[in-house]
Amino acid sequence: MAEETTTLRVARYRPERGPEAYVDEFDVPYREDMVVLDALNYIKDDLDGSLTYRWSCRMGVCGSCGMMVNGVPRLTCSTFLREFHPKPVVVEPLENFPVIRDLVVDITDFLEKLREVKPWVIREEEKRVEDGEYLQTPEEIDRYKQFSMCINCMLCYSACPVYAQDPEFLGPAAIALARRYSLDSRDQGRSQRDEVLGVDTGIWDCTFVGECSVVCPKDVDPAAAIQRTKVDTTTRGMLAAVWPFQGRT
Amino acid sequence: MQERRKETGGISLDDALGASEKWDFEPKKKKPELYLTIPPKELVFWALFSAGGMVTAFLIPIHVAILGIAFAAGWLPDDALSYERVLDFARHPLAKIYLGILVVMPLYHWAHRFRYAVHHQLGVHGWKRLVATFCYGTATLGTALTVWILLRI
Amino acid sequence: MWWLRTKAYRRFAAREATSLFAAAFSLVLLLFLFGLSRGRQAYEGFLRWLERPGTVVLSAVILAAILYHAGTWFRLTSHILVVRLGRLVVPRKVVISGLVALWLLVSGLVLQLYARF
Repeated sequence: MAEETTTLRVARYRPERGPEAYVDEFDVPYREDMVVLDALNYIKDDLDGSLTYRWSCRMGVCGSCGMMVNGVPRLTCSTFLREFHPKPVVVEPLENFPVIRDLVVDITDFLEKLREVKPWVIREEEKRVEDGEYLQTPEEIDRYKQFSMCINCMLCYSACPVYAQDPEFLGPAAIALARRYSLDSRDQGRSQRDEVLGVDTGIWDCTFVGECSVVCPKDVDPAAAIQRTKVDTTTRGMLAAVWPFQGRT
Repeated sequence: MQERRKETGGISLDDALGASEKWDFEPKKKKPELYLTIPPKELVFWALFSAGGMVTAFLIPIHVAILGIAFAAGWLPDDALSYERVLDFARHPLAKIYLGILVVMPLYHWAHRFRYAVHHQLGVHGWKRLVATFCYGTATLGTALTVWILLRI
Repeated sequence: MWWLRTKAYRRFAAREATSLFAAAFSLVLLLFLFGLSRGRQAYEGFLRWLERPGTVVLSAVILAAILYHAGTWFRLTSHILVVRLGRLVVPRKVVISGLVALWLLVSGLVLQLYARF
């Protein structure tokens, strides 16, 4: 009884072997409950131990296993082979990022941009431990919760045509996370983040293509975050031009 | 707390971040708070684009349907677009404001979208100032023309 | 041309292109007002241009483009406009329906302006 198999076409790049990328084809056993990551793990364990790729939690919360599957940025741990079987599955490294090796990309640019938006609660003065915890109502949490679901998987950067052309663009996840913190009731650093966001490589470079939100595996809707930031920034800026009493942050 | 941290070999947050990472807060409390600011240009462009999009979405379809199709098809009352009636309407100052908005806002909406289309879709990298000047300049020329014509009615 | 590659990108390009048709109609309106400012002869000449079949075809194309703009604009707005009632958020489809209702109201008012004084 022959085992059912499916074909994976995996992009390879081994810098020590030369500058050209190439494709390796593998036949992996197929079961209905297998995901692309399972297939990659089978290849590495049984067929070609040199295959290099990132993965960790295998359950869609760590953001490590992002790759292009048939030309679409996906989390390989959450993409079932049955979606494509019996057609071959093409696996390539995440688009718009330099490739280090095989399916591993250099994410430095994203990490630098993430740091730029100061993704932490900024306080003028920290509350002393003796004064107790920061309290938040469910409504206050609602305001930013959606944007806090980001797992930094960078699928949105791969989907964004603006980032593809303009590597200086801050990008969906960074802006969404900036908004997550600026909307946090404990935070007092919105004006600092606005300085980073309000430049022409920040929120203004976005033309609301919306593909970032389409590919996001956690329904963060970064496109909405960016547009809402545009609205907020514009409203505040216009008011500041006509209303002389400047408020708080 | 400090002592314990030193014992366990931990470092303070400041040291971990390095001196250059100190958060600098604006001196909000001391400054006199009565001042106006000129909004940055990107804000104004986006505001015009957004308002223009609203006008285009809500008002333009019916105007196109009426002027472009219904009139030619004879679906309007005979005197709906007569010279006297329209002139009478257009001479009213509020009508001029309405007509002005109707003509001008879609121009600024076009200007912003076209500007980014030139860069992102036509692949023109650089020449940012030139492209922006052309787009918003054209819209502003259109605005000037509109004002001039409306004042002559 | 990246924007020809996928269906979503092509739709995006079409959406952005509608702004050209909006500007085109602004030009038509400007000619309308210019004719009005020049006097009866010029104005009625413009009306005759409006009645030509070529103009009607052009208008139909512009109308289709602007309607596509309106539809996409309302969908985009539904992502941006968050209406909260306590802990409930008004679903996007309801926001879109509200915008469409407003659009129908405004269109009706404008129609009244033309068809009845």
